[in-house]
Amino acid sequence: MELDEIAIELSNVSYRYPSAVEPCVKNVSLTIKKGRFIVLMGATGAGKTTLSLCLNGLIPQLLEGELTGQISVAGHDVRKTAVQSLSRVLGLVLQDPETQIIGRTVEEDTAFGPRNFLIPLEEIKWKVNQTLEKVRLKGYNQRLTEELSGGEKQRLAIAGVLVMEPEILVLDEPTSELDPIGRSEIYETLDDLRRKKDLTILLVEHSSEELIYKADEVIVLNQGEVAWRGVPAELFRNIPLLLQWGIKPLPVSQIGWDFYAKGWISFDEIPLDSLSAEALIRALLPKYGHRHARGQSKDRLLEQETHSPEKLTAVQVSDLTYQYSSGQPALRGINLTIEAGQFVALIGQNGAGKTTLAKHFNGLLKPTSGEVIVAGLNTSQYDTSELSKTIGYVFQNPDHQIFAATVEKELEFGLKNAGYKGNEIKERVEEVLHYTGLERLRSVHPFSLGKGERQMIAVASILVLKPKLLIIDEPTTGSDWAGVQTMMALIRKLHAAGTTIIMISHDMDLVAQYAKRVIVLKDGGVLLDGTPQDVFSSDQILLDSALIPPQLCRLSAQLKDILANETFIEASEFTALFESGAKRVCL
Amino acid sequence: MIHRLDVRTKMLGFLGFIMLSFLFQDPRYQLLILVLTGLLAYWIDIPQRKMIGMLVPLIPIIVSIILITGFTFAPERFDRISSQTILFYALPGERLGATVGGFLMGTTFILRLFSMMIASSVLTLTTSMDDFTQFFHKMKVPVEISMMLTTAIRFIPTLDKKRRLIIEAQKARGANFNDKGIISSIRSYLPIMIPMFINSILIANSLSMAMLNRGYGLSRTWTSMREIAFAPRDYWTIVLIVLVMTLAVFVRFRWHLGVL
Repeated sequence: MELDEIAIELSNVSYRYPSAVEPCVKNVSLTIKKGRFIVLMGATGAGKTTLSLCLNGLIPQLLEGELTGQISVAGHDVRKTAVQSLSRVLGLVLQDPETQIIGRTVEEDTAFGPRNFLIPLEEIKWKVNQTLEKVRLKGYNQRLTEELSGGEKQRLAIAGVLVMEPEILVLDEPTSELDPIGRSEIYETLDDLRRKKDLTILLVEHSSEELIYKADEVIVLNQGEVAWRGVPAELFRNIPLLLQWGIKPLPVSQIGWDFYAKGWISFDEIPLDSLSAEALIRALLPKYGHRHARGQSKDRLLEQETHSPEKLTAVQVSDLTYQYSSGQPALRGINLTIEAGQFVALIGQNGAGKTTLAKHFNGLLKPTSGEVIVAGLNTSQYDTSELSKTIGYVFQNPDHQIFAATVEKELEFGLKNAGYKGNEIKERVEEVLHYTGLERLRSVHPFSLGKGERQMIAVASILVLKPKLLIIDEPTTGSDWAGVQTMMALIRKLHAAGTTIIMISHDMDLVAQYAKRVIVLKDGGVLLDGTPQDVFSSDQILLDSALIPPQLCRLSAQLKDILANETFIEASEFTALFESGAKRVCL
Repeated sequence: MIHRLDVRTKMLGFLGFIMLSFLFQDPRYQLLILVLTGLLAYWIDIPQRKMIGMLVPLIPIIVSIILITGFTFAPERFDRISSQTILFYALPGERLGATVGGFLMGTTFILRLFSMMIASSVLTLTTSMDDFTQFFHKMKVPVEISMMLTTAIRFIPTLDKKRRLIIEAQKARGANFNDKGIISSIRSYLPIMIPMFINSILIANSLSMAMLNRGYGLSRTWTSMREIAFAPRDYWTIVLIVLVMTLAVFVRFRWHLGVL
């Protein structure tokens, strides 16, 4: 191998943060060839971000700590080359687009990098236009950066490093703060970049479905060490490995793994997309199928109806309209009834009105016309602080509310506001600490904990008030698979205990799996309202509001003829179509 | 029109405006200044809702300013007899008298505050960040300081959005911000201030990384996006500003008008 073909070379790299005991990255040795598209995966805290900071010299040049080993990027020794000079070799895009934008207009921001290198003005202008075209922001030059959408902002951040024409592009979870549209915009941009230029791309990412066929290679980090390296397909077929490293498996390959475990198919036949899963199921059905699809799902319907026998109304929305102070309508004539004990998911693209609607439920917003009655209270007559005693609202970003020095004190805040005293506070905090599994962290400073734990604290600080209705906005953004599981298990537990749940989410897999009712909003109105099965089988309507049904629902649609128009949402429902080896009692 | 003026002309105009506003104590003169700046704002189409949104929260401050100046400005501080008149005493034994001049002075403060707010909005809305940087550059301000000031301006909307999100999150936990009394209102703002500080630090942290990532600090200078140069309109505007200033100085010091 020639030397100039190597883009990144790490040998025995370890790094320990100044205040940490354990090193965050341990003995990592890696060689990445030029022009490859590599995806770096792993659970939260596996050292992915730390590793990307090492690559452009922010570690050790900006962040102190103990770095050992050799890092060389396109032939430059990272320790000996200033971060600023390295930026022309390796561009790093960080998670939150908001904090990477320096300029007021798109052009001003993109020009920031080249200006620091004293490139003549004419050349900068030419480069800026070129780069903006690459990230699909052509003609945005004079737009104000603060008015861009999340996806546009992140593409601008990519443009900001690309304009310096680096050979290597490192992106640290560039899509974690974005909605599905913003996410696909980023992936399309990355595709373009790959095709147009001989660029080495290293992408740190949690979600997997979009990446399998795009990446050349996946590197998995586990607790600071390289745990696995190889082609994506091989990793995603190996369900037990994924689970071990906290990576979300693809639903269709879970079905495939089941077949593989039974010895019906070989490892390489485990499907990774709905098309190959369809072919596989069609091929296997005649052999092993036992035509029994209906019983189970009827069973589920039955269960749902018996769940809330009293049918108390939790939320009653009638003719709700809401206008922003600019006069722009945000919600137009919404009518809704949510019964106590339901688990409702609000979905729709950004700007469809999900959060605006949810903020009406706890009185943060008051209707322009129409009314919202929650737990018997008309929200226009009560203050949010009053309503907070029965209606809990957990926001997306836990860092917007955490202010106390310990987890315990953080939980007390809501109770003190509600006027509880002494022992009552103590008991409730104790109970919730236990319930959410935060007991061992009670006297820790919340900001010393990870994002998933902070999210849990935010939820706990609402749960102390024992709300009858819990509104939870994007409870899983930025969490890894394990974090998502813990959070959803908690929500399910609350729901089982009788709490009405209203969840806003972009994660269609979660919505299908957990919600009992799905409400699709579009342009401030209700577009669809029904069970996940019904909603996710309306492909065309969903497509119009830029939503993609979960993988298994797409598979169900493809297998319509076999499933008699049923929509399945869990892998187990598909595998139940087949003999299980063990005797299966028919209903 | 204002948009295209040279940033130096605009800064001179702004400076002139500040001096003008501090020359006169008489609220009538202040009102004239306010109306003129208001017209200017109207002319360049400032978002009015935003302005009103900024003014409304100030009402308690306005009332307290008028009250405080009314009672604390002693009659000796005014030149005119009419201003020295004492309306009534707040305390028995002729102590803490409310003077006409005091109330007028309070009104002046308020009008001055308003016109300053409008004028500074006009300035920031019509001037690009790059223009400001250019201005600092011409004034021989070090690059670091001008960079600091321009990023501060860039992040005002971001932090304002954060502030709104934080308030909503705390309200949802039952925080009440309508408490009376200074101590309790300070305490009730802690849940907002602390996350605000923490978030600012987090933003600053990742911003510093983003800036290094893009080569900031490699050299102590950078490419100017455009050379600023005076156009004829700038000379005319400067002449106008100087004329108005001279006139104002005459009115104030030769004829002793506009004092209290």
